[in-house]
Amino acid sequence: MAKPKVAFYWCASCGGCEEAVVDLAEDILTVVAAVDIVFWPVALDFKRKDVEAMKDGSIAVSFINGAVRTGEQEEMVKLLTKKSGLVVAFGSCSHLGGIPGLASFWDRDAIFERAYKGVPSVRNPEGIYPQQKTVIGGVELELPEFHDTVRTLDQVVDVDYYLPGCAPPPDLIMSAITAILEGKLPVKGSVLAPDKALCDTCPRKDSKPDKLSIRAIRRPHEIIADPNKCFLEEGIICLGPATRTGCGERCINANMPCRGCFGPPKGSLDQGAKMISALGSMLGVEDEDKATEEEVESLVNQVDDPAGLFYMFSLPASLLRRKRMG
Amino acid sequence: MAERIGVYVCKCGPNIGGKVDVDTIVNDVKDLEGVAAAKSHNLLCSADGLAFLKSEIEKQKLSRVVVAACTPKMYEQKIMRACEEAGLNPFLMQMTNIREQCAWVTPDKAQATAKARSLVMAAINRAPLLEPIERKEIEVRADVLVVGGGVAGLEACLSLAQKGRKVYLVEKNPCIGGLAARFEEVYPTMECAPCMIAPELQEVLQKENIEVFTHSELEETLGSFGNFTVRIRRKARYVNEEACIGCGACVEPCPVEVSNEYDEGLSKRRAIFTPFAGALPNVPVIDKDNCRRFKGEECRVCEQACPFGAIRYDDKDEVVEKRVGAIILATGAGLFDPKALPQYGYGKLDNVVTALQLERLNASNGPTGGKVLLKNGEKPKSIAFVFCVGRKEKEYCSGICCMYSIKLAHVMREKLPDAKLYCFYSDICVPKKEHQQWYDRVTDQGVEFVRSDGVVAVAAEKGKLAVKYGTGSPAGTVSLDMVVLAPAVEPSPDIEALAGILDTSRDDHGFFCEEHALMKPFATALEGVFAAGSCQGPKDIGDAVAQAGAAAGRILSRLIPGEKLALEPMVAVVDEDLCSGCRTCIPLCPYSAITRDKEKGTSVVDEALCRGCGTCVAACPSGAIKARQFTREQILAEIRGVAK
Amino acid sequence: MKEPTIVGFLCNWCSYEGADRAGDAHLECPANIRTVRVMCSGRVEPEFVLQAFREGASGVLILGCHPGDCHYKKGNYKARRRISLLRKTLGQFGIEPERVKLDWVAAGEGERFARVANEMAGTIRKLGPLDLS
Repeated sequence: MAKPKVAFYWCASCGGCEEAVVDLAEDILTVVAAVDIVFWPVALDFKRKDVEAMKDGSIAVSFINGAVRTGEQEEMVKLLTKKSGLVVAFGSCSHLGGIPGLASFWDRDAIFERAYKGVPSVRNPEGIYPQQKTVIGGVELELPEFHDTVRTLDQVVDVDYYLPGCAPPPDLIMSAITAILEGKLPVKGSVLAPDKALCDTCPRKDSKPDKLSIRAIRRPHEIIADPNKCFLEEGIICLGPATRTGCGERCINANMPCRGCFGPPKGSLDQGAKMISALGSMLGVEDEDKATEEEVESLVNQVDDPAGLFYMFSLPASLLRRKRMG
Repeated sequence: MAERIGVYVCKCGPNIGGKVDVDTIVNDVKDLEGVAAAKSHNLLCSADGLAFLKSEIEKQKLSRVVVAACTPKMYEQKIMRACEEAGLNPFLMQMTNIREQCAWVTPDKAQATAKARSLVMAAINRAPLLEPIERKEIEVRADVLVVGGGVAGLEACLSLAQKGRKVYLVEKNPCIGGLAARFEEVYPTMECAPCMIAPELQEVLQKENIEVFTHSELEETLGSFGNFTVRIRRKARYVNEEACIGCGACVEPCPVEVSNEYDEGLSKRRAIFTPFAGALPNVPVIDKDNCRRFKGEECRVCEQACPFGAIRYDDKDEVVEKRVGAIILATGAGLFDPKALPQYGYGKLDNVVTALQLERLNASNGPTGGKVLLKNGEKPKSIAFVFCVGRKEKEYCSGICCMYSIKLAHVMREKLPDAKLYCFYSDICVPKKEHQQWYDRVTDQGVEFVRSDGVVAVAAEKGKLAVKYGTGSPAGTVSLDMVVLAPAVEPSPDIEALAGILDTSRDDHGFFCEEHALMKPFATALEGVFAAGSCQGPKDIGDAVAQAGAAAGRILSRLIPGEKLALEPMVAVVDEDLCSGCRTCIPLCPYSAITRDKEKGTSVVDEALCRGCGTCVAACPSGAIKARQFTREQILAEIRGVAK
Repeated sequence: MKEPTIVGFLCNWCSYEGADRAGDAHLECPANIRTVRVMCSGRVEPEFVLQAFREGASGVLILGCHPGDCHYKKGNYKARRRISLLRKTLGQFGIEPERVKLDWVAAGEGERFARVANEMAGTIRKLGPLDLS
C-alpha cells in the first residue's frame, strides 16, 4: 500500500522548525520509513510545479511553519491546502504569528524605511526600495508582495491542527505524527499539546507561595534568579501562567522565564490580555489598599514593554492583530 | 435544540413609551433568530404585567426571557420570581435598563430608540448563553464558639445559648469575667463591676447549653461559615475541676511566691493560685513554670493539703474538637506599656502606676482589700492623673481613659477626702449622654484640671514625685505623692497569633478589622467570624456588650437549628480541567474563599464564602474560573450587541 | 451623523446605581454610551476592552466604586492596576489610551455620572471613531 504523502513548507520563519524535524534524531528514520515526503524546500528538490501537478487532497498532511507575510507565502499555503487532506500549523509562527509577527507593530513603509535607509550600517543615498515589479533587459521580473500585516496560517487557510512551540519539541512532534498516522486525532482545530498552562507541569510549582504579591519587577539580567523559586516570586515576569504547557520547561530549566511561545492554554483567547490581567492583579496586591494613584502608576510603569513582552509570539493571533497605524 | 426567547419591552406608561419608539423595536426584533415572541406591555411590574409574563412563558414554551424595562435594581427579583412560578429557572431571564439609563436621559427620541434597540439586541445576544442556576443550600451547625470570657463574650454566650444551640466559651485565663471582674466601680453608673457581672458569670457557668473552657486556647480552625471545625487546647490545670470545692487550702502551704499578674504586679501569688478573691470558676491552677515540682523537686505540699484529693500532677493538655457554625472573637485588648516613654518614670520611680494598677489597689478583691496606699504603706495625700499616655505614639484616641480617670478621681475623692487631686490633660473626651456630668461633678468636688500641651516629665524629688507639665504656656511643676498614668488601649499581645489561626485580617493598629466600620462593625470580612469588644478597637463596657449582642443577633438569624443555609448562587467556579494551579487567584479574594487543593494541584472556591465579585475570574490567565451568571461568553455576547 | 459607540462597564453596587440616579434626575447623558452591567469593576477583564474595540466600539468607560468603598472590598484596586497596564499597552498598539477610562462613581452620585459620561463622550468625539480595519 502506498505510504501517505507528507509535505513541509516554510513561510516567514527562521528555519528552527525544520531543525526541529531533524532533531527527531533516530525517530526520523521511523518517520521517513512510514511516509513519503513529497515537498520540503529546505531539504529536497521538489518544485512548486510538482505540487501544482498533484491531485487535490493527495497529500495526506502538510506541515506548514512560518507566518504569512508575503504574496508568495499566501499562494503557497493556499496551494498546499488545496492539495492536502490535513493542514497542520507547525510551530509558533504559523500558529500565532511568532517572532516575525512582531513586525505588525509597523507596516511595510515603516519597515522598508528602516531596513533600506534607517539602519546605521546601510548606505542608500538614492533611497532605493525593493519593488514588486521591475523590467530588466526587456524582461519583467516579479518579487512577492510584502504585506503590511503578518498573519497566522489560519487567517489565510483552513487549519486542522496546531503544533505549538518555538520550535515544537521533538516528543510533541513525534506524538503528533504518530497520532496522524494512526488516525487517532482529537477534534479538528485542536492544539496538539496539553490543555493547561505551564504552571501545571513547572518544576518550581511546589515551592511557589500560595499568596504571591509582586512588589518590584526585575528583568532577567538584573538578578540571578534562584533556580528553585518561581520567577514571579522574585519579580521576574514569567508568562508561564498564561502559556500552554507541553514544552518540557526547556527555558525554565535553563533558569530563564517563559516567554509564551506555546500560546494561550485552552479556554484563553488572547494570551497578552490574560497576562495583563494576571500581572496587573498580582502587582502590589499585598498593600493595594494603601497605594496612591502615583504609586500604582509607577508600579505599572516598571513593565517596560508590555505589548512586546505579552504578545512576543502571539501578536497576529491576538484580538487587535496589529498596531493601528496613524 | 434552538432556544425560544421571549422579548418583552415595557412601556412603563409614558416613562418609556413616550421617549422610546417601543413598537418599532419590538417589530425589529421579532424575526431575529431565536426570538419566539416579541411584545410590548404597558406596565410589566404590575400584577397584570407579571401575569402576562407568566402566561407568555407557558404559552410560548419559552426557554429564555428578555425584559427591557426600568432598572433591574428595582424589579429584577420580582420578575425572576414570576419566571420561577411559571416553571422557568429564574436565572434564564435577562433584564436590560431602557428607562433610567436610556429613556430618562436621552432627550432625542430617535437616539433613545437607537440606544434602546441596541440594549435589547445585546440582551437577546446574551440570553441563549444564560445557564440555569440552582440555589444551593448547605447543612450547617447552629452551635457557636466564643473566644474570650469578658463582658462581650459573656453577652454573646447568653444571647446565643438557647434550645438547639450550644455555645463553647474558650478563655485563656483560669477565670472568666475579663477586666470587669478586676475593677471596683465602673462609669457612668459607679456600680461595683464584679457585682454587676456576677449574675452573668453564674449563668454562663451553670447554663446547660454553655460549655466553658477556662485556662484554654483556640488552637486551630478549619472549614467555613456554617461548618467550622475548631480545636481547643484545654491546658493542664493540675486540679480536678469536679473534685475541687474551692476551699483554697492548697494555696496557703505553697512555698513559692511570684508576682501576681492579675494584680498588675502589686502583690504576690503562689505557684498554685486563683487569680484574685472571688474569681470564677473557683478552682485553682498550678503555674507549672514556677512550681517546684514541675522544675524537678519533690514537693507535694498542695496535694497533701487538699482534703478532697483534687490535685492531679499527671494532668495533661487535652485538645478538644468541636463543630460550630460561627465564631465570635471577644478577646479584649491590652494596655500600652508606659516604660516606652521613660520621661514618665514608670517602672523606675515608686508610686508611678498605671490606671489598671490603681483599679487593683482600689478593688476590694485586690492586693490591699481596697486601700489605696503608697509603696511605703501610707495613704497618698496627693494624686495626679495623667491623660493620653501614648496617644501621640498610637495616633488614635482610646476613648475610655478620660472617663475612667474621672471616675477614679471621683472614687479617690470619696476615699481620700483630704487628698489633693489633679488631672493633667491636653484634651478631654467625654461623649455620650451620661458622661459629661461626671466631669462637672469632679470639678465641683475640687479635682483640679490642669491643661497644657502635655506632661513633660515625672521625677523623684525629696521623697515625692515632681510632675512637670507644659512646654510653653501654661507650664509648671507640681509636687505629688502618686501619679496615675492613663495608657492607650492597644491590641493584646496574642492577637497576632489568633489572627493567624483564623486567617482574619487586622487593621493598621493591629486590632481585628471590622467588615465595615458603619454597616457591619461587629463582623469581619471572613464570613461567620465576628469580632466584639475591644479586640476590634478600644471601647467601654456598654459598647462592648452592644457589639457582642449585634454579632449574636446576626448568628441567630442566619444559623437556625435544623435549617439549611442558602448560598450565594452567582459564585465563581474553578474548572479543574483548565486550572494549572498557578495560584494567581488565591491572594485576590478578600473573603479568603479560594484555597489550593494540594492533591489536585488546583484552586478551589468555597461556595459558602464566595460573594460573586468575579475578581478572580478576571485575573485567571487560563480563563479557568467561571463567574455564574456573568460568564465571559455572556458578557462578550452583550458587548457584541452594544458595541456596534 | 451617528456618534461612535462607547461601551460602559458599570458595577452593580456603585456606578450602576449612580447612573440610575442620573436617570431619576433626568440628567442628559450621552446616547452613545451603552451599559454592560457587572457585579464589580474587578470583573472587567482587559479582554473585554479589546473585544469591545474589535466589535466596533470607539471607547470603553469602566466605572467602579471609589477606592476604599468597593462593595467587595478590593475589586476596584485590581481594576486600577489592570486598566493602567492595559492603557500603556494600548498606547503601544497605536490606540490612544484616553479611549479607555476607569473612573469612580458612587451610588448616590447621579450628577457625577452624568459629568463623567459626558466628558468621555467629548473625549471620544475629539479622538474620532476608532477604525481598526
